[in-house]
Amino acid sequence: MKKIILTLIAAVVAISCSDNLEDLNQNIKDPSTVSGESLFSGAQKSLTDQMVSLNVNTNNTKLWSQYLQETTYTDESNYDQITRSIPRNHWSAMYKDVLKDLNEATMIINETTYTTDELNALKPNKLAIIEILNVYAYANLVETFGDVPYTEALDINNLTPKYDDGLTVYKDLIVRLDAAINNLDTSLGSFDSNDLIYNGEVENWLKFANSLKLRMGILLADVEPALSKATVESAYGSELIMSNADNATYAYRSTDPNTNPIYVDLVLSGRQDFVAGLTIIDKLKSLEDPRLPLYFDPVDGEFVGATIGSTATYASTSKLATRFNTPTEPGVLFDYSEVEFLLAEGAERGYSVGDAETHYNTAIEASISYWGGTQAQIEDYLAQPEVSYESALAASEATTPWKEVIGTQKWIALFNRGMEAWTSIRLLDYPEMATPTDAVSGYPNRYTYPVVEQTINSASWSAASSAIGGDQPETMLFWDVN
Amino acid sequence: MKTKLSRILTLLLAFVVQLTFAQQKTVTGTVTDESGVPLPAVNIVVKGTATGVQTDFDGNFAIDASQGDILVFSFVGLQTAEYPVESSGTLDVTLKADSAQLDEVVVTALGISREKQSLGYSTQEVDGESVSTVKSGNFTNALSGKVSGLQIKKNTNFGGSTNVVIRGNTSLTGSNQALFVIDGVPINNTNSNSSGQSQASGNYYDYGNAASDINPEDIASINVLKGAAASALYGSRAANGVIMITTKKGNKSKGLGVTINSGVTVGSIDKSTFAKYQDQYGAGYGAYYDSEDGFFYLEDINGDGTDDLTAVYTEDASYGAAFDPNLLVYQWDSFDPDSPNYQRATPWVNAKNGPITFFETPVTLTNSISIDNGFESGSFRLAYTKFDQSGLMPNSEINKHNFSFNGTFDLTDKFTATGYANYIKTDGLGRNSTGYNDNVIGNFKQWWQTNVDVEQQKDIYFATGRNISWNPASSAAGAPPIFWDNPYWTRYENYQNDSRNRFIGNFSLNYELTDWLDVTGRIATDTYNEQQEERRAVGSVATSFGVTRGNVDSGYSRKEITNTETNYDLMLNFNKDLSEKINLAGIIGTNIRRNEFQSIWASTSGGLIVPGLYSLQNGRGPLPRPVERAEKLGVDGIYASASLGYDKTFFLDATIRRDHSSTLPEDNSTFYYPSVSGSFVFSKLLDVNAISFAKVRANYAEVGNSAPFDYLRDTYVVNADIGTSVANSKKNPNLKPETTKSVEAGLEMKFANNRLGFDLAYYKTNSIDQIVAVPVTTATGYSSKILNAGEIQNQGVEASLFAIPVKTDDFTWAVNANWSKNKSKVISLTEGIDNLQLGSFAGGVTLNAQVGQPYGVLYGTDYTYIDGQRVVDPATGQYIATSDSDNVIGDTNPDWIMGLSNSFSYKNLTLSFLIDIQQGGSIFSLDQYYGQATGLYAETAFTNDLGNPVRNTIADGGGYINPGVNPDGSVNESRIRTDRFGAFGYRRGLPQSEFVYDASYVKLREIALSYNLPKKYLENTFLNTLAFSATGSNLWIINKNLPHADPESGLGSGNLQGYTTGSLPSTKDFGFNIKAQF
Repeated sequence: MKKIILTLIAAVVAISCSDNLEDLNQNIKDPSTVSGESLFSGAQKSLTDQMVSLNVNTNNTKLWSQYLQETTYTDESNYDQITRSIPRNHWSAMYKDVLKDLNEATMIINETTYTTDELNALKPNKLAIIEILNVYAYANLVETFGDVPYTEALDINNLTPKYDDGLTVYKDLIVRLDAAINNLDTSLGSFDSNDLIYNGEVENWLKFANSLKLRMGILLADVEPALSKATVESAYGSELIMSNADNATYAYRSTDPNTNPIYVDLVLSGRQDFVAGLTIIDKLKSLEDPRLPLYFDPVDGEFVGATIGSTATYASTSKLATRFNTPTEPGVLFDYSEVEFLLAEGAERGYSVGDAETHYNTAIEASISYWGGTQAQIEDYLAQPEVSYESALAASEATTPWKEVIGTQKWIALFNRGMEAWTSIRLLDYPEMATPTDAVSGYPNRYTYPVVEQTINSASWSAASSAIGGDQPETMLFWDVN
Repeated sequence: MKTKLSRILTLLLAFVVQLTFAQQKTVTGTVTDESGVPLPAVNIVVKGTATGVQTDFDGNFAIDASQGDILVFSFVGLQTAEYPVESSGTLDVTLKADSAQLDEVVVTALGISREKQSLGYSTQEVDGESVSTVKSGNFTNALSGKVSGLQIKKNTNFGGSTNVVIRGNTSLTGSNQALFVIDGVPINNTNSNSSGQSQASGNYYDYGNAASDINPEDIASINVLKGAAASALYGSRAANGVIMITTKKGNKSKGLGVTINSGVTVGSIDKSTFAKYQDQYGAGYGAYYDSEDGFFYLEDINGDGTDDLTAVYTEDASYGAAFDPNLLVYQWDSFDPDSPNYQRATPWVNAKNGPITFFETPVTLTNSISIDNGFESGSFRLAYTKFDQSGLMPNSEINKHNFSFNGTFDLTDKFTATGYANYIKTDGLGRNSTGYNDNVIGNFKQWWQTNVDVEQQKDIYFATGRNISWNPASSAAGAPPIFWDNPYWTRYENYQNDSRNRFIGNFSLNYELTDWLDVTGRIATDTYNEQQEERRAVGSVATSFGVTRGNVDSGYSRKEITNTETNYDLMLNFNKDLSEKINLAGIIGTNIRRNEFQSIWASTSGGLIVPGLYSLQNGRGPLPRPVERAEKLGVDGIYASASLGYDKTFFLDATIRRDHSSTLPEDNSTFYYPSVSGSFVFSKLLDVNAISFAKVRANYAEVGNSAPFDYLRDTYVVNADIGTSVANSKKNPNLKPETTKSVEAGLEMKFANNRLGFDLAYYKTNSIDQIVAVPVTTATGYSSKILNAGEIQNQGVEASLFAIPVKTDDFTWAVNANWSKNKSKVISLTEGIDNLQLGSFAGGVTLNAQVGQPYGVLYGTDYTYIDGQRVVDPATGQYIATSDSDNVIGDTNPDWIMGLSNSFSYKNLTLSFLIDIQQGGSIFSLDQYYGQATGLYAETAFTNDLGNPVRNTIADGGGYINPGVNPDGSVNESRIRTDRFGAFGYRRGLPQSEFVYDASYVKLREIALSYNLPKKYLENTFLNTLAFSATGSNLWIINKNLPHADPESGLGSGNLQGYTTGSLPSTKDFGFNIKAQF
């Protein structure tokens, strides 16, 4: 018997002396290294989803641009951004799912030695393209919140990053964008199929970057006129998105979870949450806009919009047109029509970027043809006195008539691009938005900071809140001065 | 082997023969205690046989025995005595007080038996009977109110998990569930619920906690080790206290015994825990639809070319038109040709059969048989239990088979082998969805039309087998539902099922080296595999489902889990009297633990191709990437303990354990847990008659927790769709273990011959270096970072009291009370962070650990105040809630909990009942937050101060005045509009704090009436015992403040408590049980 015991003791001691115990703690199911290219793809998807979505938990800007109205649960149409933590979800998507992954992609690509010289030579283009998306994402954060963490952001060793002055950040972004543009070498490729927007075409990224620069320049027009002018003119002097073929579009696929997020909310959810907003229906009807049936489906032959902020019956109100029920409807990050509108604005502001009316007409043409209107419709439309540039200007009672004329047409064209539409409305103050019947705030000039920032980054939050003039939805951001 | 088997069989046969045929003389007599009081229920056994009887209530007995047999008299608390059978045939016996009562033995850490008086820490024992009498399918529920310092929170989910916390939450985000140990070996008690489940999102299920697999019929006793000192020998997993289970074993002295137990429990719904609706208004959200009054759609339903008044069938609220039996309205049942009311309008009235008719009568059947036997060289017990339970909801059931074997065999007179094997198969079907989607009860409690007759929904589902819902997207026949499926469709088509095969077993060898030293080696394993299948039938409301959580109408999801824990123990036990008065006992041992967890989860995407076929290859879209987990843990521990006793009066214990854990960085992976405790039985030195026993005790201990698996190194996420991402949480390669330091002191006294006594304990624990995924601003690129951060303090007082106020020959009244109060406080988190969000629930309420507050406070919006008066917006009459939602609106910790049990015995009849009390604690009700907004509850349709229906328009004298002041300080006189949805609920100014309720309750938890058939009726039968019991559990919620739900309801076990949504109503359960022993 003692033998048995001795054997047992020996066995147990032998097992207990395992010196590689820590080796058990290996996650063998998730990768500890990935390619920078795969991170870049992931970030592109996250960015596009966030910009394109109309989900009430993700992005309310299509409601705030009054293209759409909710049927029964009308909180977001009434500017409620708190209940569903919209600011937090946007903040988190941009920093964590877009910027962090881009940041990591940069780091990994920098450190990677590829198998061939040819592949290694693509690194500068890849890094520059990542940088362009970095600028795009940060610019959106500044346009949305105002001051945001920037110089101290994306550093996990600093858990309480300060918020930087929005204007300073924006200026720095323009510098970074210029540098990225200079680093693009159009004679070489980049991400190839890992780039789900331009398939690695560097020329397209150059156009995208210059168009972004144009938009950023225009945004500063009222607050930094000189910088605005220089930036816009410099962009105009370079290659811009010059046709709908150059549009930055993300190619969604036909099956979940890779479909257009709009398809998820309109079709897959089986819900009946969104109908046409009265503001856009009224406008499109009064202009006899050919895009009306392209944007919406009629009810019994009529286009019916829902009163903004009020409950509406789904059956008797117009819904988004059938094309939005398509899983593969592309997600648009930038389009030609917007570029032309921006140039029209630049021209009206006295920048040397060509003729306002020409850009205006081209912009409308680009939009209608993108949505499937005919050349004849475009010509008829442009000939209408309410649309024709000179007569429209003359008819406008606005202090600055071009803001109303361009603003209105730009808003119509930016349909389905809530973020940009909302920014344009805030910058140009046209078209006027209806006051929702149960509005919980004035017109939201910004997303309020994520509520959670008050508890987990409290000192930085309160400094930023007072710096921007109060963490309120109505607070006008630095670029939104008149 | 063959000969051995036949020998056993012969032996068995011999017993049976002996039982049935042996005829001997009858010995009669009386048993009394030292003071001459006759003792009832004294066990008398013919030594070496199974023959035994009990004394009656006059202490008389009669037993058949042969001259020369030895009769063994035993009674709890008294010394066992043996007397030979004399020729006279009469025998009067006096049993002496056991010098102890005091020598009461309890099972402590690692399964080591100790004299309770020697312990310097708090433990409390519960006998097996008290967890098996009332059958709930989860014996942990039966511990509620029976042990001080132990908080049991049974939620109402069918087969759901029970939260078992001892002395408060010591870990910020780690598990705070007590460790369950069977016969010295830890077993698994995790719940496999997802984080989505614990935060009330989506359609998730509560799959129960694994300890519920233990069969209450197999439990001999449970000892709860409350403090760190008691459990310190378990080292890194001792932080949460231990529930030590000792299983029933064969008994050498009793011989062969067969026990058959059969019970049935029938439940009935406790109406106070379900919605009570208003009965005046039907479907709608307000008056903005097509009809002239705005309450109805106008559609041509009957095809006559003119529009008909049609109920607003797409809406899931009852804020519509006032009922009017003379008004004929086309409703959902007029749309489908298969409906009896096709194209027929029906009166606009409150439904005859509301949702309460949806519930079925839950029935639980428990049948068990056990055989135990003892023979010269060993004993065994073999048991089988079948448990069948059907639930409150249609199509729900849980079935269990439980086989257990327990045996010990003396290989030589010094060498003993013991073994335990338990196989459990559990099958669950139709568990209730606990979140927001697919939750039929949430549907009934939050979003419903009071005009909908549930019986009609039932009839049409069973008649057509189609998803004809009260809530279709359009009036076209066959239109899909918009928000809610037909509730019967949900139950019969979209049900989940699960099964778990589990084996728990151990094998140990013990060798007695000398009379004071023995060595034990033990190998133990607990392993199970579990399968969880979830399904959605083609044609259901789309909801997020499966791995990608994409929105689909149909799908199939399957998760396979295997989980194994293996423990190897080697222990040297010594116990030596160094002198007449000094005793030294102790252990030196080593424990090696290995855990392995694996899971794979796959689901279809994009819906199903072939309806009704639930297989992964039947997905419309490509199979999304399955989610795989593989986790291994290991801890190597060595430990020693020594106990020094002096004259059975002074005791000093010290333990030390060194753990080497696999989950910490190599530099920090080895650490020590010391404890020291002492006790002083001062009654030994007192010569006061009234004091039977008195002891003070005190201890200090450090225990801790190592990190969870894979907290050290970063990995990336392969996205379900495109590309890869950086993980949300930043790992930390420099972690060190969590430590809990605790001090405890206690006083235990018994008086009046042990008829009155109490046990008091005070403790304070500080848990430091918490391993926490600290939420950080996502501007860092992460949502959390793993840190050693934070400290929680728990302080508490526990009191247990027992008394036997009356004890006569025939009648005994015994009282037991347990009271405990725990106060937790978050002392610190990490630099710059003073709040840790533990969970975020549907409705925007969060649960938090906030520095300076108790662990687990609810955050949400609150009223705004001026001088203590609520502020109202004069323009609307609505309250102005805070815009920020980080106000503390509730503390989920109870102020104190208490259990009070009384037991009355009269002759063979025993009546006992237990009242369970929780005082304080907060709970947020999403049901009220939404359900009042949608106008379901009686609270939303009353006569206002003007004597009018409150739902009239303001012009018509409706609405009411919110008490409060305007922002300028003047008294509010504006009337709030209540003619549209939201005024009473979440929507129009009422903050989340309005829907936080006091979770206090007083419940009649258990009542049991037992009757043991007197021996005289069994004399000529083969039966030894025949006992009947009638039980009731949760019969009466005597007091509660949470409307329309049980304050104990919740989402499941775990750290996220204080929130209820769509919880099942509780049931009053009536049981009847027969137990026969022969």
